[in-house]
Amino acid sequence: MSSVEPARAGVIHDLGYQRYTGPRLGRRYATLSLYTHSLRTAFGLGRSGKAKVFPWLVVGLVFAVAIVAVVVRSQTNVVFISYLQYPDTVGVPVLLFLAVVAPELVCRDLRAHVLPLYFSRPIARPDYALAKLVAMVSAVWLLLAGPQLLILLGGIFAQTGGWRGGWHEFTDFLGGVAYSGITAVVYASVAVLVASLASRRALAAAAIVGTFLVTAPVVGVLSIVGGSLRELAPVLNPVTLVGGVKRYLFHTKVGLDLGIYGPMYVAVALALVIVCTTLLLARYRKAGA
Amino acid sequence: MNLTIAWITARALLGRKRVLLLLPFPVLVVGLTLIAHALRPDAADQWGPVIVDGLGLGVLLPVTALIVGTAVLGAEIEDGTILHILAKPLPRREIVLAKLVVSAGIIGTVAAVPMFVAGTVAQSARFGLALAVACFVAALAYAALFLALSLLTRRPVLIGLAYVLLWEGLLGNLLASTRELSIHQYAVTLASRIAQTQLLHNHVGLPVAIVMSAVFLVGGTVLAVNRLSSFAVTGETS
Repeated sequence: MSSVEPARAGVIHDLGYQRYTGPRLGRRYATLSLYTHSLRTAFGLGRSGKAKVFPWLVVGLVFAVAIVAVVVRSQTNVVFISYLQYPDTVGVPVLLFLAVVAPELVCRDLRAHVLPLYFSRPIARPDYALAKLVAMVSAVWLLLAGPQLLILLGGIFAQTGGWRGGWHEFTDFLGGVAYSGITAVVYASVAVLVASLASRRALAAAAIVGTFLVTAPVVGVLSIVGGSLRELAPVLNPVTLVGGVKRYLFHTKVGLDLGIYGPMYVAVALALVIVCTTLLLARYRKAGA
Repeated sequence: MNLTIAWITARALLGRKRVLLLLPFPVLVVGLTLIAHALRPDAADQWGPVIVDGLGLGVLLPVTALIVGTAVLGAEIEDGTILHILAKPLPRREIVLAKLVVSAGIIGTVAAVPMFVAGTVAQSARFGLALAVACFVAALAYAALFLALSLLTRRPVLIGLAYVLLWEGLLGNLLASTRELSIHQYAVTLASRIAQTQLLHNHVGLPVAIVMSAVFLVGGTVLAVNRLSSFAVTGETS
């Protein structure tokens, strides 16, 4: 401001402004805040009604499936959907959830160019990416495990084996919850990575669904064409990949035929999660700078 | 139909590197068909339905339609650049028609070319042509539907995804009669009626498929023109 003449320059009065000298909550607190905020965003909590429509539509759908499972079991005494089957049964609503929530979590910040505002705080770039990823994993896990709790309550009171039967039911439930966790980690890491690469929310949603849908027929075709490809091809699709992990880890009788490749499914799932997370961190090393 | 609007829209969708976004799906369909044909030419009746129906008509067509169909108008609404077009002394129906033609043309081309290859390799050139025709008809219906959606709501892609995933995908398998309102099934019927085939199983009648495709096209277009005529510009709220 060289145009201001020295004679006219005013005096800066001391208005008594003070620096903040209290405790600063630091990086961990900031990351945790970002995580809880993102988890609430996933379900539209603390946001307008419009933002709640899609997440809660999906929540309604998955709980509807759980209620059907409980009712059928109580009426016929046959286990209609087991805990381990449940995450696969609601695959389509979960895919819709991924397409709704993952872009919501990462694309808005990228699109609005607000990342520098985050990084001017104690939070570091990897913290941001991991907080978003973990929030997404938690949201998907809650979506899968919540209805299983309902099935558990229905199952405990519908079964006739007394306390022993109830305990058996509970251990089955723990298996289902663990499998939901595996599913959530694999799905969420793929979805968040894809969403972070497309800055437009609409495009990100379509791209996530595209990745999941397009690989399914690929698995189908490769399974048909050749010998050991039948047991190898399912690793290409996230849905059949976690299905194979389930088959190997929980020794389920139905589903994919893995042959001798069971351990490979676990290894590929682990590698997929590690690669997706690494790429996500790499994406945020420069994003918004 | 206004050529300038059509040109701008086509350039916005295909310009620079954006055309590369549309390439992976067709390349995958063609590549997978060729691999399957090279390894097991005798088992075309097994992998044929998976590629033609499961991948092509079931995923490639609707997902491309979703990306392109909502972007022709939705992207401009989101960015606010729609104002520049609305401020021109043009009848709104010309804008909608130009967008619709470009959108359907791109969807149709992106879907029909790989499907023609897949159909020809899996069965015959006649079947390939039938699939291409079905793709173009379905592209018109999808384009009109998603164009109308992008004017009716602020989140057209999510509603479109819900339609494709839940209605055509999930409910189409569970509740048989929902197929009567599914563009995917119209395409299947058209293709299987034009060329006799074992690879597709149609669930709706040919008259239903033709009439309902036309209803989707005309209804969507009229609705879109109607909504654009009284379009209110609002900021992002949620």
